[in-house]
Amino acid sequence: MNYELEKERIIELLSAALPMVNLESDFLFSELDSLGVTTILMLLSEEYGIELDAKDATPKNLKTIDAIVRMVETKLGQA
Amino acid sequence: MTLEQSIEHYAASVPDKAAVICGGETLSYSCLWKCIQARASQLEAEGLRRGEPYVFVATQDAEFIVTYCAVHLCGAVAVPLEASTPQERKKQIQAEANSQMVNGKWLNGKCSDILYTTGTTGFAKGVIISEKAWTANAENLIDRLGFTSDLLFIVCGPLNHLGSLSKIYPTLMTGGTLCIMEGLKDLNAFFSIFSLPFARFATFLVPSGIRMLLQFASKDLAAVSRKIAFVETGAAPISQHDMERLCQVLPSSRLFNTYASTEAGIVCSYEYSKYGCHPGLLGKPMKHSSLRIDEAGRVVCSGDTLMSGYVNAPELTAQVLREGEVYTSDLGSIDENGMLRLQGRLDDIINVGGRKVNPLEVEEALSTFDLIADCICVPAPHIILGTAPKLFYVPKSGHEVKPKAIADYLKGRLENYKIPLFYEAVDAIKRTYNGKPDRKAY
Repeated sequence: MNYELEKERIIELLSAALPMVNLESDFLFSELDSLGVTTILMLLSEEYGIELDAKDATPKNLKTIDAIVRMVETKLGQA
Repeated sequence: MTLEQSIEHYAASVPDKAAVICGGETLSYSCLWKCIQARASQLEAEGLRRGEPYVFVATQDAEFIVTYCAVHLCGAVAVPLEASTPQERKKQIQAEANSQMVNGKWLNGKCSDILYTTGTTGFAKGVIISEKAWTANAENLIDRLGFTSDLLFIVCGPLNHLGSLSKIYPTLMTGGTLCIMEGLKDLNAFFSIFSLPFARFATFLVPSGIRMLLQFASKDLAAVSRKIAFVETGAAPISQHDMERLCQVLPSSRLFNTYASTEAGIVCSYEYSKYGCHPGLLGKPMKHSSLRIDEAGRVVCSGDTLMSGYVNAPELTAQVLREGEVYTSDLGSIDENGMLRLQGRLDDIINVGGRKVNPLEVEEALSTFDLIADCICVPAPHIILGTAPKLFYVPKSGHEVKPKAIADYLKGRLENYKIPLFYEAVDAIKRTYNGKPDRKAY
């Protein structure tokens, strides 16, 4: 997986679904509400064919867009 | 007994019992009562007087409960606001509440709270709720749902909203324990609550919250199913599919679908885990409520749970509250068993996961946005929320307007939940023959 390319792809995907969230924030998790977290889990699991559940929705995994990309990377590595 | 009298009572009889749990902190009944008294003294020292409104942001923590009860203890009126209420709107609400105080029509010690809602009228209005209405709401819930002293009730929704605020009352009035969470975004934190040493757990979840749990945490939910005494939902329609799935995941829990509004109070509730999963079926009225359907098919509610009126809006109050009945905007029927069945709404309000959005308010907020020539806000299907606002907009000639720019513009002007989640740039907005936006065409 090309990190920068996938990061762009994820930003594009999430910004379309969550227009009011600043995805570049260093405190992304605190900007999200329940809907934001759920939307991220849903879109990423559909886009990458990975299984994400409640245990993945941690403040650490969703702290920044880079943390999200790393979570996807890890899940793809486990697949 | 009022809420505050109940807390005082339990502070004396079971002082060490947990009253409120939030973020790892536990307040016992005696500690809660001391905090409320101290906050009331502080508010009085700051000049809060009997009958005056106290406007404050509804934070999701024990501080909220302390302030809310302290305001009541001062004999003042609690006006809790949505956390994302724009600054200008807060000032407007403060001025509105103050001017109403000067008019003094709702004082007489009867007004307990003012809750701002868009529900029944389609416009953001302050709904005046009396202490009597809160007590009746609490007794309705205790009687129908089964609140008891050994129950830990989890509040995940916004505390300025009737759905969650109303649960403080039956929980603390029966000597139970309240656990406050900041939404459902940290699902692990939600499930960690079930490891606390309580015999029975319960919660209120809007249908989108139930869908989130079923989608991403059904195994975790099943693992704690035997601990869950009941789950109440309401504020938006729940699908038959989600009701059936929840019944499967929580086979021993009582599952309720409740009909309530800020204006009418908590009116009826249907136990679908017992009587079957039927979408739109809301059950029989509770002990302090009754309802009927008028000639137009509208649900009309009566009983002790009703609001006292709207702030500074006598004409609107007269339209909605007539001779002891609240005329809702919901269409429904009453079946052969005396149960309410909802069949839609009379107006254009968009129900966004239980919160009501008037599309006119969104369009009005964008009327000052330089880069948009015209727009219309309509409901669109959303996989989690059920429906969400969608904006069709016409960019001014020569401009490219990205959805993020529109959302950012709206952020300081509207509460977050009112901001559209879907956007589509179009060449023109469809209008009716007399020039009004043609919502049915979308």
